[in-house]
Amino acid sequence: MNSAQIEIQLIASLVAIACAIPGTFLVLRKMAMISDAISHAILPGLVVGFFITQDLNSPLLILLAALTGLITVILVEQIQKTGLVKEDTAIGLVFPALFSIGVLLISKNANDVHLDIDAVLLGELAFAPFDRLFIGGTDVGPKSLWVIGTILTITIGLLIAFFKELKVSTFDAGLSASLGFSPVVIHYGLMSVASVTTVGAFDAVGAILVVALMIAPAATAYLLTTDLKRMLLLSIFFGLFSAIAGYWMAHALDASIAGSITTILGLLFLMVYLFAPSNGIIAVLYKEKQQRIEVSLLTFLLHLKNHSEKRERHVNHLREHINWQKVRAKTVLELALKNNMIVINNDIVSLTKKGDKFTTQAIDYIITNEDAQIEGMKDDFFLFRG
Amino acid sequence: MSLNEYFSLVFSDYTLRTITLGTAILGAVCGMLGSFAVLRKQSLLGDAISHAALPGIAIAFLITGAKDSNTLLLGALVSGLIGTFWIKGITSKTHLKSDTALGLILSLFFGFGMLLLTYIQKQPNANQAGLDKYLFGQAATLVESDVWLMAVVTGLCLFVILLFWKEFKILLFDPDYTKTLGFNTRIIDILITSFIVLAIVLGLQTVGVVLMSAMLLAPAAAARQWTNSLSTMVILACIFGALSGVFGTAISASQNNLSTGPVIVLVASVFVLFSFIFSPSRGVLFRQLRFIKNRRDLEQHKTLAFMYHIAKTHDNISHPHTIKILNNFQGFTRGTLQKLVKKNYVELDGNMWSLTDDGFKKASNLYNQQNNE
Repeated sequence: MNSAQIEIQLIASLVAIACAIPGTFLVLRKMAMISDAISHAILPGLVVGFFITQDLNSPLLILLAALTGLITVILVEQIQKTGLVKEDTAIGLVFPALFSIGVLLISKNANDVHLDIDAVLLGELAFAPFDRLFIGGTDVGPKSLWVIGTILTITIGLLIAFFKELKVSTFDAGLSASLGFSPVVIHYGLMSVASVTTVGAFDAVGAILVVALMIAPAATAYLLTTDLKRMLLLSIFFGLFSAIAGYWMAHALDASIAGSITTILGLLFLMVYLFAPSNGIIAVLYKEKQQRIEVSLLTFLLHLKNHSEKRERHVNHLREHINWQKVRAKTVLELALKNNMIVINNDIVSLTKKGDKFTTQAIDYIITNEDAQIEGMKDDFFLFRG
Repeated sequence: MSLNEYFSLVFSDYTLRTITLGTAILGAVCGMLGSFAVLRKQSLLGDAISHAALPGIAIAFLITGAKDSNTLLLGALVSGLIGTFWIKGITSKTHLKSDTALGLILSLFFGFGMLLLTYIQKQPNANQAGLDKYLFGQAATLVESDVWLMAVVTGLCLFVILLFWKEFKILLFDPDYTKTLGFNTRIIDILITSFIVLAIVLGLQTVGVVLMSAMLLAPAAAARQWTNSLSTMVILACIFGALSGVFGTAISASQNNLSTGPVIVLVASVFVLFSFIFSPSRGVLFRQLRFIKNRRDLEQHKTLAFMYHIAKTHDNISHPHTIKILNNFQGFTRGTLQKLVKKNYVELDGNMWSLTDDGFKKASNLYNQQNNE
């Protein structure tokens, strides 16, 4: 590894962490699409800032562009407040309009602006180490490393200082208002951090991939845990991992670094989406199937309890009466037998003592809906785990 | 070229005619399907799908090695559909909310598409240049066959929408009821979503991945402000969309260095802004005017009620009183008094006022909802 490679990986990692922190809160607050809107809408701010400063890494430009991001959020909220359209429509109307203005500004002044729309949208991390910051003539590292480092330090500082407030206002805005932290202030604070991070990161990874770095690690972490601190740490970890792995993938394929980072993020999400222990697709489908069988079992046991006549309890009759297919009837019958709920004599099914007790308890639970009745059953049955 | 020149050339010049026709048809079909997207609260789905189409374009190119726009659009269609159904899978099977799902699919697919595009650019194949026109769109590359394709798809959309009009409408406003009536809601849902994806994919070449969502939303959001009827809304959205296409093309053709896609989007945004402000029933302007009028009426009623309570205590209701006693009353101004006189509720005589019979009757029934007209 040469020093440029290390610097690129360092920048990518810092961007990933700086994005993961506000991203976690955006995902929890159901505002993920706002980050998409901000990342597009900063374009006119960037262009105007570039006219003034002629330098993509100048702090003034970052502030101007971040301000455009905030204006977007306010515009969306104002439009939504009129009640004429829903929030998502408001988002979808505002950012393409602002983005169009940005594109037109660039194309009208193509001769004066050395700013490529592709570069703004897609970024080019590979060039980041060439734009260096000199303090008093000495080379102190790439400019974007300093920019994103500063943003990350501020973000972490704010996170630690206002963690409690963020947590309360995210999960219970009403409570936080009554405790005296204004949800509005925290909302705009978060939006400002998201805007500044987006602007600081676009140069490295491009505006759209900022969205990926904000949402994907947080969403992946959210599938694995419901603890806020753990979710933050996990999303930082996922961001870091994909930044490093993405760099080496791009190196191998000779393709865009930002694109590879996103692809790794996508693969990570896909794995977690499929295999997460309790919220993954496979686990969910298994749980649903299990619940379906258990509902059938319960129906079956209730049927037995309701009928003392032999005719009603004959194995063949059950199949036609409850209208189950052969396979399903067999699964249920076997499940009940295995749990010692029923005995079969001469093809006549009857409840055992255990089965009778279980059925009574289940009925009690269905009628009263009190949890205490079923504490014991929760270990054996998904159905009652809620 | 000035705007006048443009309109004189639009019927004779091949390029201008093709582009104008193309953007107009695109605007119309987007408006038509966008109405459904907006009403189903799926406004941002368009944004996600248009981004999700990018890897499809790249993969189609990698497989065929040719830049035939139809194959590329087919790839875009497939990958757009995969994205859409994955979004549905995420929201229905996990606790992630729809905004997270949209953002995820949008950014992940787009990033993957970028990876593929940059990979393709490094390949020793002279044919690859120009794939990035799908990012921002280039209306100038439209040829007659593209327009024909758009026209055919639009016709197909129109046919299906007319055929399943009642199903679409009922699913839009009451999905549960639709289910109880025995319609297969899943199939209707898939049908309409697929058409939305199709419309988006068609527009990629013209306005590009990034701005496509606005093409879908803006005409529909503008049309929504003028009517409460679905059929009127769909027709209006078509017209707004087509007009945005035509005017956008005209403006961008009449100036140098103005790309068509962004101009079309801005024209559509102007339609939205105009509708938000000037729509007679929902618009901000008329709502504010109604609000002011209501407040005036209320003040007038308050004055009338106050007079009524004074007049009530006298045997003769038209007994004159001095204006001075109204001075401490909040809702009273000289203007409101004049208005009451004009309505024949009050008579003025120098510094004295008196209620007329009409005014007394009106005031006594003021808060009686049943008799109040």
